[in-house]
Amino acid sequence: MPDDKQPKADFSDVEGGSSSTAPPAPSSGRTYTVVKGDSLSKIAKQFYGNASQWKKIYEANKDTIKNPDLIYPGQTFKIPDA
Amino acid sequence: MIRSRRLVWAAGLGLVVVGAASCKKKEPPPPAETSAAPAPAPAPPAFAVQGIELGKTVDADKKVAAPTTTFGRKDTIYASVTTEGAAPSKTLSAKWTFQDGQTVKEQSQSIAPTGPAATEFHISKKGLWPAGKYKVEVSVDGSPAGSKDFEIK
Repeated sequence: MPDDKQPKADFSDVEGGSSSTAPPAPSSGRTYTVVKGDSLSKIAKQFYGNASQWKKIYEANKDTIKNPDLIYPGQTFKIPDA
Repeated sequence: MIRSRRLVWAAGLGLVVVGAASCKKKEPPPPAETSAAPAPAPAPPAFAVQGIELGKTVDADKKVAAPTTTFGRKDTIYASVTTEGAAPSKTLSAKWTFQDGQTVKEQSQSIAPTGPAATEFHISKKGLWPAGKYKVEVSVDGSPAGSKDFEIK
């Protein structure tokens, strides 16, 4: 019986970029380096006082965060202004 | 005689006083009541995504000149997101997915728009794109703002 399963498409070599006619948003320049035991919610609580703001950090670091539930010690994230 | 001179003097003095009074410069009329304060400038429209166009190139305005939803396997795919309104900070994100749900690429761009603007996201592949159906979903600060389907043949 033939295997109907198609090999999964490989997008590891996809490159991209973006630009805008609008001026870039001012950045506080704050960054944070993940330590063991951190989560995006914990970092959001630390910077914004509100764990539910984790998505803001996730959105600003989508290039480096593949899965918001999986962040690793040593990763450095941009912390957008509240 | 002296008395009559005094009377004449007094009468003359009176005329002078009356004349001076009548020559007194008239007070300018009080300024008219100012009308109501000028209406404040209309508030700029709230920030919102107006449209998403796909194409193989964008111009200097970050807009797609020739919109299409069909691409070749070597093409660079551009998504131009037009927005209106002003905001101190907005993060536009684009998530590109393949027909099987696999994420192809995620990108974001933080902007401080002061009015109508266009933001482009593009993806390219060193190898050939797998043929099939794709989608790009655009979000603003994490909230869905629109999507566009396209096909690579």
